[in-house]
Formats: sequence, C-alpha cells, structure tokens
Amino acid sequence: MSKTLLVTGASRGIGQETVRRFLQDSSPEKGTVDKIVLVARDSQDYTDALAELEAANPRGVELAAYRADVGDRAALLELVDQLAEEQGNIDFLVNNAGYTNPVPLQQVDFTDFERTMAVNLYAPFTLVQELLHRGNHFDLIVNIASTAGITGRSGWLTYSASKAALINMSEVMREELAIYGTRVVCISPGRTATALRRVLAPTEDPTTIMQPGDVAAVIEMLASPVGRYVDSANLVVRQ
Amino acid sequence: MYSLLLLNGGIGARAGAGQPKQLVKVNGLPILVYSLVAADAVDEITQIILNYPDGWRQQIEAIVSAYAIRTPVVYVRAGATRHESVRAMLDAATEDDVVIHETARPLVTSADFSTLVASEHRNVSLMLEIPFTVAPVDPATQRVTGYLERSTLRNVQLPQKFSTADLRDAHAFAEREDRLFTEDATLVAVAGHDVRFVPGSDRNIKVTTPTDIKLATYLLTGGDEE
Repeated sequence: MSKTLLVTGASRGIGQETVRRFLQDSSPEKGTVDKIVLVARDSQDYTDALAELEAANPRGVELAAYRADVGDRAALLELVDQLAEEQGNIDFLVNNAGYTNPVPLQQVDFTDFERTMAVNLYAPFTLVQELLHRGNHFDLIVNIASTAGITGRSGWLTYSASKAALINMSEVMREELAIYGTRVVCISPGRTATALRRVLAPTEDPTTIMQPGDVAAVIEMLASPVGRYVDSANLVVRQ
Repeated sequence: MYSLLLLNGGIGARAGAGQPKQLVKVNGLPILVYSLVAADAVDEITQIILNYPDGWRQQIEAIVSAYAIRTPVVYVRAGATRHESVRAMLDAATEDDVVIHETARPLVTSADFSTLVASEHRNVSLMLEIPFTVAPVDPATQRVTGYLERSTLRNVQLPQKFSTADLRDAHAFAEREDRLFTEDATLVAVAGHDVRFVPGSDRNIKVTTPTDIKLATYLLTGGDEE
C-alpha cells in the first residue's frame, strides 16, 4: 500500500537528507512511500533544496511542498487544515524542524525560550494532536530530539530543556498511540553536521562529525519493515 | 452491516470523601476509548450506539470527539437495569444485525469484532473454557447440591453478535416472562433462538476492580510479552 511521509524542517540538514533517501528508495521490501509532504519556512535554501530533490527523483515520488513556520501556532493550524484537505492520511511523520539560540541562563530572552519550545516541542505536539483530531492514523512518528536532551549542557539551557521535554513527550505518545498500532520513536542524534549544529558549535569542523545522511538512514530503517523490531523510546544515534 | 451496542458503565467509585466520581481510566486513557478505537477500525460496524450514565453525556461526547471516531455515534441514556439499557439501545439500532460489547473490556481487539462478523451464524458469542470447577449450591443452607460437568460449561464473554430481530424478540420474551438475565447470549438461547460460540481469549478480561485495572494495564503495555 502506498504511504505518505511528512517531514518538517525539510529545507536542509536531516530533513532534506531524509526526503532524499526516500526518493531513492526503490526496493519493494523497503518502505512504499509514494508521496512526500515537505514543510519548511520560506527561504532560498528551501527553494534550492526543492529544485535539487525534484531533479533527483527517479521513482517519480509526488513531492508536495508547503511553506510555513511551525513555530507559529496560527500558521501551523492553518497548515494542518490545508494538509487534511489536500494530502489525505499522513502515514509517516518526521518531526525534524528545530531551533536554537544557545546562550547562558542570565542571557536567555524569555521570548526566545518560548520560540525554542514552540518549534522543538509544541509544533510536534500540535501536528500530531491536530492530525489525530482530523481522524489521521499514523504508522510511525519519528521525533528528532538530541543527546543534549538526555543530559543538560551548559550554555544550551533552552535547547537542552526543549529536547528533554520532547524525549519525555515521545514516551507518552508511544504509550497512548499504541491503541492505533502507531509506533513512536524518538531519535537523539549526537553531533551532526547541520546548520543548527553550526549555531551550537561554530568552531567545529563539520567534516569530522556525523553527517545528516547518516541520521536519515536510521529514519529510513525505522520506516522499513525491519523498523518494527526496533523497540526503543529514545534511540541514540552518534558517531 | 452492524450496529454496535456499546454498554458503558464507566464511572468508578469516588476517589475520596466529597470527591466527584471519575471516568475509569486504564493506562491513563478513559476506558471507553479502547473499545471505540477497536470498533472504529472495523468496516462492517457502521453505527455505534453508546450509552452514558445520567449526567455524563457531555464528557462522553467530548471523548468521542477528541478521538475523532469516524463511525457515527448515537447516544442513549443508560437504563436502570441491563435489560432496560439494551432495549433502549436496540430502539436506536438501524442495522439488521448488532454487536454487543461493554467498555469494561478494554482488551478487545478489532480482530475479535471481525471474528464475530465473519461467522456464518447469526447469533454468536465469544466464550472461554472454564479451567476450574464450578459447584451448584444452595446459598441459604451452604449445601452443595450436585455436580456440573465443566466440559459443557463456558465463561461467557463479550463481544457478541445477534440478529437485531432475534435480540428484540428475546428481550420481549424476558419482559413477558419477567425473567432477568445477566447477559444476552443465554437470554437469546433461552428465548428459543440458535446461539453459537467461538473461542475467546483469556486476555479479554472484564475490568471491575482496581486490581483488574492494574492487570489490564500490564497486558495493554506488553508486560506479558517479556
């Protein structure tokens, strides 16, 4: 049966690589995703990523691109209305969009803390809740957290706290959505060469750490039949 | 196609003196959610008739709405007795066949409903063999009065399915004869209709006590799979 995948933060990093892998996947024993819904903020990066993905789409997977800031609740609710009307059931959901502005406690601007929670925690919650309210049945939900959510990191208070909450929320989702047969997996990548990582560690050489494609490979595995055998509330992925 | 008559006691004891009664929850979810979601996934169930304890309609409707149950749901107030409840729900049934279930059995699966629907017989109950001995007694004198052959006895479970006409006839029979039954499979059989059984599962327990809730939670969260 054909499946629809939705990826937030699809314009770059782990999100873009996840879409790329599902476009390439052509072996029948793997997933059968024939439609991918991409969500990201409007940006040149996103436009470029879409052109690149469209050009490398050997299976002719339908790509449906939406421009929305998932951290803006009103915009997100509008997006869900559009998705429900235009895209049908979302089978695989990858909550990947992330935001950080790492500063020490004394320098945290509360509005910025709220934005961090809005993107990293409330957006995954709202997407799942609103789609459930519209009768959506998920096969798999993958929430992208971080090893920084397992242990707090000095200087990363808002980011660490938001990811810790996401890990915990994933555990609850996993139990509550079992009634539908939905699998919920939280992935906590370690250092990954993404734009967000450059904000967290600007002096790090990105070629020396894990690449977004490696995390995308794990997501692809989770959506494949063998993913059913991975029973972990929080899967740590690191080099 | 089938109307599901979903018996929904669902209100537990007061949590403490002066506290309002609560909807029973299993693993954090209102107990009726499990049966609603399992039935909603069965294509042959095209109507759900859900009864509600007096005063609880709003809360029950809110749960059905939050869980986006796709099958149309009709709400009927619970009667003073089980017979009264089932009769009122039967009045609302629009299909020629009905499935009866109770929300107090949250471990029911979509497959349980499908097994009943797939049976060639018109009146069918899930039943279990009895792994222990049951004795007939006279409670007043505490005298044991005989012997029951357990191979010819079954533990009656829900869900069950009936021809709507047969079940209506059986309830009219019970009213006419002024007889009380604790469930409908034996009622329909005693009223003269053919009733069959298919093997149930010992996981499909009826949750009535706090210990039952713990056991149901253990089973629902895969505790028995370790």
